[in-house]
Amino acid sequence: MKSSIKLIMKPKWDEIEKIRNKSSNFLVSQGISNNSIQALTMVISELVENSVKYGKFLSPKNTVIINIHIDENIVTTEVINPVDNTVFKHLKKLDKTIQWIRGFQNPLEAYTERLRVVSKKPLNDEDSGLGLVRIAYEGKAILDFFVSEDNFLNVSALSNS
Amino acid sequence: MNQNFVEIKANLIEGKTTIPIDVKYTSKYSFLIRFLNSNSFKNGAEFSKLIIQMNGRSFELGRCQFLSEPNIDGYAGRLIFINDIYDIESLMFDNKIVRLQNACLNLPLILNLKHNIAESFHKYTANLTYDLSVYKNLFDNLDAEYSKEPEHIRNSLQQTVINTIGREFMGFLDDKLLELEQIIRNFSKDQHKDHGFYFRKQLWNTIICAPFMTRTNLKPRGYAGDSDMMSMIYANDYRGNSTYSKLMHKHPLEQPAAQAVRNRRKIIAKMIRNLNKDSNRGNNKKLKILSVACGPACEIQDVLISTKDCKKFHFVLLDQDRTALYEAARLIDHTEKKLDTKIAVDYLNESVRTMLAAPFLKNKLGQFNFIYSMGLFDYLLPPVASAVIGKLYQLLKPGGQMLIGNFHVSNPSKYYMEYWLDWAIYYRTEEDFKSLLMDAPSADVDLFFEDAGIQMFLHVKKKSKPDFDSKNIQ
Repeated sequence: MKSSIKLIMKPKWDEIEKIRNKSSNFLVSQGISNNSIQALTMVISELVENSVKYGKFLSPKNTVIINIHIDENIVTTEVINPVDNTVFKHLKKLDKTIQWIRGFQNPLEAYTERLRVVSKKPLNDEDSGLGLVRIAYEGKAILDFFVSEDNFLNVSALSNS
Repeated sequence: MNQNFVEIKANLIEGKTTIPIDVKYTSKYSFLIRFLNSNSFKNGAEFSKLIIQMNGRSFELGRCQFLSEPNIDGYAGRLIFINDIYDIESLMFDNKIVRLQNACLNLPLILNLKHNIAESFHKYTANLTYDLSVYKNLFDNLDAEYSKEPEHIRNSLQQTVINTIGREFMGFLDDKLLELEQIIRNFSKDQHKDHGFYFRKQLWNTIICAPFMTRTNLKPRGYAGDSDMMSMIYANDYRGNSTYSKLMHKHPLEQPAAQAVRNRRKIIAKMIRNLNKDSNRGNNKKLKILSVACGPACEIQDVLISTKDCKKFHFVLLDQDRTALYEAARLIDHTEKKLDTKIAVDYLNESVRTMLAAPFLKNKLGQFNFIYSMGLFDYLLPPVASAVIGKLYQLLKPGGQMLIGNFHVSNPSKYYMEYWLDWAIYYRTEEDFKSLLMDAPSADVDLFFEDAGIQMFLHVKKKSKPDFDSKNIQ
C-alpha cells in the first residue's frame, strides 16, 4: 500500500489545529490504527510547531509544507519550511540533538535523561529540547533533517504504522 | 553570576520564631550563614524552613540543619537540608528550586519496563549474568595467579590464557549470541527496544569493563560510530585492564559487521588506486577525491604507499566531527613524514545535513573524480540520504565515480550491535539503496557487497557526456 498527502499551511499558530485534523483524517482513511494515529498526530504537531517557531517566513508567499507518505507499514512525515543563515546555530544544535537521540536503541534513555536535564533548567528557558525526545519516545519515530540548496529546512520523521 | 556570591537576606523559621540571617552561596548543596541580632545556635540545631528573598521573589526551602564551623568572616557555619536536598547553584544562578531527589522522578518509568520483558528473556539474561560472573572470576583468579611475574612473562602467560581458555570463552559468547537470536527473532521493533534496554541494564558491569563496548554505549562524542570506535575496529586487538576485559573487548570486533568495516577500507583503497591507473588525465593534474564523513580516513594510508602516489591525489576530507578531522590530519602528517613529501589535503568541518545549503559547496569545492562515503548513509533517513546523494552526484566530474556504503538489512550482527553495543543503524535493501539515486539519469549504477556480504556499495559512474534529459542534475 502506497499513498501520500501534501498539506500546505500558513505559518500561523492557529493553523496547526487544522493540520492536525487533516493529517489525522488522512491517516484514518488509510486504515492506520488508533494508537498509531495518536502517535503520528503528536509527531506531526511537534514538527509543525517547530517549523512555525524557527522558520523564516520573509515573504507572505512562504508556507509550511507537510508531506505524509505511507509505504507498506512505514509512515514518513516531512515538514518543510524556509530558513535563512540566522538559524544555522539552531540547526547545529538540532543536528547534535537528533544524533544524540538516535544514538540510543531505546529512546527511553534519551527521554529520561532529557527530563532530568529539563528539571534543572531555569523556569524561563523555552529551549527544553523535550519536543524532539517526545517525538522519538512517545511518537516512536526516527528523526532526521537536511537544509536544501535553496535554504529550505526539511525535517523528516519515520514511524511504523 | 557574581552577584549571587554576595550575602542574601533570609529567615530561618522554627515554630513561631523567625530568625534573621545572611546566607551566602558556598557549595552546590550548602549555604554559609551568619546569624544576625546576636543570635547563636548549637551545632546540629534544626529549623523547619528557610525563606530567601532574592531578585524580588521569595523562595521557601524545607527542613534544614545548622553545622557549626570555625568562625571566619563572621560566618557561624553552614546550613544543609535534611529532608529535600536542594541544588543551591540552580537556586542562586537560575532561580529554580531543584531537588536532588528529582533524579528519582524517572524511576517508575524505568522500573516498570521490566514488566514488558518476556519470561524466556528474563531467564536468558539471568543465566548469562551468572555465567559471565563465573568466567570473570576464573580469569581474574588466573590474572592474580601470575601477577607477581615480570611484565614480559606476565604478558606471555596472559596471551596463552587468551589463546586457550580465552578462545573457549569466545565460543561460549558466540553460542549465547545464537541463543539470544532464537529468543528475540519474532520480537516487534518496540519489543527489541525494551529488551535491549533491559539487557544493557542487567549486563552493564560487563559492558563497562570492555573499552569498545563502553564507547559504543556511552558515545562520548554524542553519536555512534565515531573515529575512535572505527580505529578500534581496524585495530581488532585485545584491549583492557584484565584478561576478561580484553576478551570482552575483542569479541564484538570479531563479528561479521566489524569484518565488513575492515573489508570496506580495503575496497576503497583498491578503487582509488585503480582509478589512478585508469585515469587519462594530464601528468600534472591530480585526481580530486572527496571523502564524506571521513572519520580518521585510515584508508588513505593504504593508498599513499610511495612519494609518487602522494603527487597523484588531492583529497578533500569532510566530517562533522572536528576531532575526527584532527585524527585524519595526524595520520596524513605521519604519512608525509614517513615518505618525506607533501600531500594535497583540504579539511572541511561540516555536517552533511547542513552542507547542502553551505555557500562553500557551490563556490569552493568544485568537482571531483571520485567521491566516497563508507559509514554515513547508515544514519540517514531516505529523504536526507536522497538529497545528499543527489548533491554528491552533482559534485562529480563527467566520467567521475562515486562509491557509497550502507549495511544490508540482513546484517547478522544486527542484534549483537543493538543489544550489547546500543548501536542502531538504518538498514537498507538493494532496492531501497538504488532508489536513493532516482534523480541521476546520466549515471551507470551497480551494486555490490564486500566479502562478508553485509555491507552494500552503490557504485555510480557519471557519464562523460551528460544526456539531454539530465539537465536537472548538471
